Amino acid sequence: MANQLTEMLKGTLEGIVLAFLTEDPAYGYEITTRLRDEGFEDIAEGTVYALLVRIEQRGLVDVAKVPSEKGPPRKVYSINEAGRTQLAEFWQTWNFLAGRIERLRPTA
Amino acid sequence: MAAKWIEMLTGSLEQKKQYREHVARLDALPAPYGEAAKAVQRYLTYAGAAEDGDTLVTMIGDHVDLWERAAVDGTPVRAIVGDNPVEFAEEFARAYAGKQWIDRERNRLTQAIDAAAAKQEGRQES
Repeated sequence: MANQLTEMLKGTLEGIVLAFLTEDPAYGYEITTRLRDEGFEDIAEGTVYALLVRIEQRGLVDVAKVPSEKGPPRKVYSINEAGRTQLAEFWQTWNFLAGRIERLRPTA
Repeated sequence: MAAKWIEMLTGSLEQKKQYREHVARLDALPAPYGEAAKAVQRYLTYAGAAEDGDTLVTMIGDHVDLWERAAVDGTPVRAIVGDNPVEFAEEFARAYAGKQWIDRERNRLTQAIDAAAAKQEGRQES
């Protein structure tokens, strides 16, 4: 099951992360922790980091460098207008997909 | 003036300076983060194949940031790259794909198929 979950998550992780960021700005580690708390335990921190890099490159988030007690500054991500538009599309797509797939399930 | 003239021939000096700084930070990483980071770095320069220097330098910088953070936090190497380091590296490189050489090949393929399909449709109509 873990493998199938990983595959399915790939397409939805961006939406999940954008949804997190609508509540509060966060840095990479906080997002990974939040994913773990929500039950997505197998996600590597690097996967989240790569995703954050991608949404930054695509202009869906704003990034602020915040000094940390120890080590290099942390990059804090907050969703911007383009990100909100993208997230709205994600929820629309999700509703469509979830509805269609649910219709395929045989009623026992 | 001379510097500008040289940059035109060799690429940006600023870029080279940044690149060297990133590599120095990579070399300064403690074990086992240094080994892991260098292995991923090596793969990124192949898989990423960034065409312009700015994109490449940004990618390398972000990559070093990730490992420096991991080293300070003591995050296990495996937690960073996951079960499949190749997939991790490719996904990372893909984030910078906007300006990559592969885009040109993607366009070329798309246009070739468009042209071939258009030719076929033209024939069916006549």
